[in-house]
Amino acid sequence: MKSKLTRILALIFALMLAVTMVSCTTTQGGKGGSTGTTGTSSGDAKGIDTSKFVTISHLSLGNKPTNGQYEAVKAEWDKYLKDKLNCALEVQYIGWTDYMTQYNLLLATGEGLDMINSASDWLEMWPNAQRGAFLELNDLLPTYAPITWETVPESSWAEVTFKGDIIAIPEDMYSQWINHGYMYRGDWARQFGITEKIDSWDDFQVYLQGVKDNFGSQGVIPFDIAGASNMKALYDGWTNSKSSYICIDPVPEGLAFGKSDDEWWEVRSRFLPLDDGTDMLLNFAKEMKEWGDAGYWREDVLNNTADTWVQFKAGLTGVRQHHTQTYVSAYKELEREVPGADLQFFPWAEESKNLTKMSITHGATAIAANCKNPERALMVYDLIRNDETMYKLFNWGIEGVQYVINDKGQRDLPEGFVTDQHGFSSNFWGGRMDKFELAFPSTTWIDNYEELYADFETYAKPYRYGRFVFDKSPVESELAALSDVVNRYLPAISVGKAGDPETVVKEFRAELEMAGYQKVLDEVQKQLTEFKNSL
Amino acid sequence: MKGRIAEVFKKINKKRTLLFMCVPAIVFFFIFSYLPMPGAWLAFVRFNYRDGIFGSEFVGLENFRFLALSGQLWTLTRNTVLYNLAFIVTGNILQITVAILFNEMVGKKLNIYKKFSQSVMFLPYFISAVVIGVFAYNLLNVQTGFINSLLKQLDANTINFYSIPELWPIIIVLAYLWQSTGYGSIVYFAAIMGIDAEMMEASEIDGANAFQRIRYILLPCLKPTFIILLLFALGGIMKGNFGLFYNLTGANNMALFEKTDIIETFVFRSLNVNFNFSMGSAVGLFQSLFGFVLVMTVNTIVKKIEPEYSLF
Repeated sequence: MKSKLTRILALIFALMLAVTMVSCTTTQGGKGGSTGTTGTSSGDAKGIDTSKFVTISHLSLGNKPTNGQYEAVKAEWDKYLKDKLNCALEVQYIGWTDYMTQYNLLLATGEGLDMINSASDWLEMWPNAQRGAFLELNDLLPTYAPITWETVPESSWAEVTFKGDIIAIPEDMYSQWINHGYMYRGDWARQFGITEKIDSWDDFQVYLQGVKDNFGSQGVIPFDIAGASNMKALYDGWTNSKSSYICIDPVPEGLAFGKSDDEWWEVRSRFLPLDDGTDMLLNFAKEMKEWGDAGYWREDVLNNTADTWVQFKAGLTGVRQHHTQTYVSAYKELEREVPGADLQFFPWAEESKNLTKMSITHGATAIAANCKNPERALMVYDLIRNDETMYKLFNWGIEGVQYVINDKGQRDLPEGFVTDQHGFSSNFWGGRMDKFELAFPSTTWIDNYEELYADFETYAKPYRYGRFVFDKSPVESELAALSDVVNRYLPAISVGKAGDPETVVKEFRAELEMAGYQKVLDEVQKQLTEFKNSL
Repeated sequence: MKGRIAEVFKKINKKRTLLFMCVPAIVFFFIFSYLPMPGAWLAFVRFNYRDGIFGSEFVGLENFRFLALSGQLWTLTRNTVLYNLAFIVTGNILQITVAILFNEMVGKKLNIYKKFSQSVMFLPYFISAVVIGVFAYNLLNVQTGFINSLLKQLDANTINFYSIPELWPIIIVLAYLWQSTGYGSIVYFAAIMGIDAEMMEASEIDGANAFQRIRYILLPCLKPTFIILLLFALGGIMKGNFGLFYNLTGANNMALFEKTDIIETFVFRSLNVNFNFSMGSAVGLFQSLFGFVLVMTVNTIVKKIEPEYSLF
């Protein structure tokens, strides 16, 4: 009896082992297969074979349009692609809720992915490259994306090179400003006697108090905030406005900053006092406690889940926090719904003139490591990026439905356009081109955006950390522990709901210390020095 | 030897129908519980997608370190275990009570009421934790919440539930009970149905009243079921109900963390941004091992006291 049992157990175990082995070999087989294709394709460069019809997917960030417009536009570009490349293209949307988790999970499984929207500063391009999520494109690009390969300059390719391999294509020919700030209602500000543009936190507080005094009794919340990331963003803004610090994006949770543009290789922490002794975090904590106590946001703001932009458009709150690019298009959107609202913008960089230009890898397109048709995916990319018809279809939609071109040759919204019914976006943020973008007509973009951009140009500095690949492995445990500490304290401190500022800042620092903050800062400094020396 | 094998086959043949009915369960557990087991190796490597679980670099216990680094491990473990104990104790008591009450409802008139209330109690089990979180927020928030609006109408002081940690153990346990009582009572109800009716009749003839019947017949008969369910529940005592806690208390309400932070919510905060599979597996392994040891210990104790009640 006993021996029988042992035998059965042995059999089960062997079976288990066999199954795992099989699964291992499959992954390895897949990897070998893809390298194999790479080899052959560079071998016979001229004979590109598109006889087999395939469907290519594009992983986009953003909520899927639910008004049927995606399907309508997709049908159009599929017709075009069928002719050109014998393929179809589908967009796989990742909704904004917990997008980072969803995105990384999808990349981890790698199932059914082809083109992937990536970014070094907000979508973990380098960590994902390190984890092997992306295909090396060196051999494929010249053959399958020849125009892109020719037009992207050597220096830009260098920005997407990981350990000698090109792992993505940068969005290097599209200008935009993504520095954050506060948007507020111009009509309200004037009503409270604020005649000048708001350009400091003090003036901004006057505005908030004005909303509270004038509309508070009607249930208007001066500054409705929801979600941890939006709360933590307040401190991003404060850091930006009150110091010369520049965020080193590859280090998560804003744990490490460069001292200033002149000394960008000097690592500093925004959670510790500045070099001159100013306790920036404590000042912030005190100020926000004051704001919270004054009722600028909800009493139980930490559990709030409201959609604050919807609230804003309904006149229930007076502030929206986002970046310049959002502002220039939100102006008219608000104008259509609340005529006369006159949305204004207070960029955080205004107060300190601490502004960096955008990295060209704020948007990039990568190909999945186990993509089945990397050749066709690159051909589709090359077409979107360089073929005007495809560019407009994929980025703007159908002419006459999503946009029209007016007699001045500008892009405009068609008559009777309603965002909910006709809106469409593929969120292709990894290869937009200035040359195809038409002058921005008055119905979609704010009129004076050029002045705003020109003003930024006068003091913006180049971005230094686009190519800095931070190897997290020596401090992974510390980073995880620090993430917990930051997420426990910072949101509550940022909305003044963490009790006495002095005490909580002290506690926060003690916990950071215990979680190994110094070790992380030292490691970042070490790697940043190496990076600087390698330039 | 040969005779024995023949005996085994004879046995199998005799009980083939029963065995056949077991097959789906066996296949299920084999695929979902035994096949992935070698994957626990993930907790000991620095995982990267391309090399796979067994190809990645071995790093020993490195992945477990962040748990200790935070200095929160004690609070987290305490909260997780205490909440689960509260769930197990209050949950089972309430489930048994409800099952007995249903059992006492006999007669045609009561039948409709019984069916109806059973369904009503059963329903919350199917409501997602996200929705429960929304319910709770709309009941409890200061400005527009139901309870506070009521208090305002009565000119009483409002209660800011979201800043008083002491209230939350009660709120969370109540939410848990609301959600799980109906579902859990079914198991006990079924066990009661299985009790020999002759025993009940005999006791009635002997003049036992309803309370005596419950005390001396029903409860002792439910003991084995209770102990089995208890042992199962103990295995998961280190595993928190993430959905319930996260949605009820919010992701970042620091004021409540001392009383509401459990291992799962901590892991979520630590790894949501860092996204490290190996560390996630390390936590899972830690929880499972703890549960395994606990079940083994309790089972041994039960075996010592009343052998027929133990699991194995």
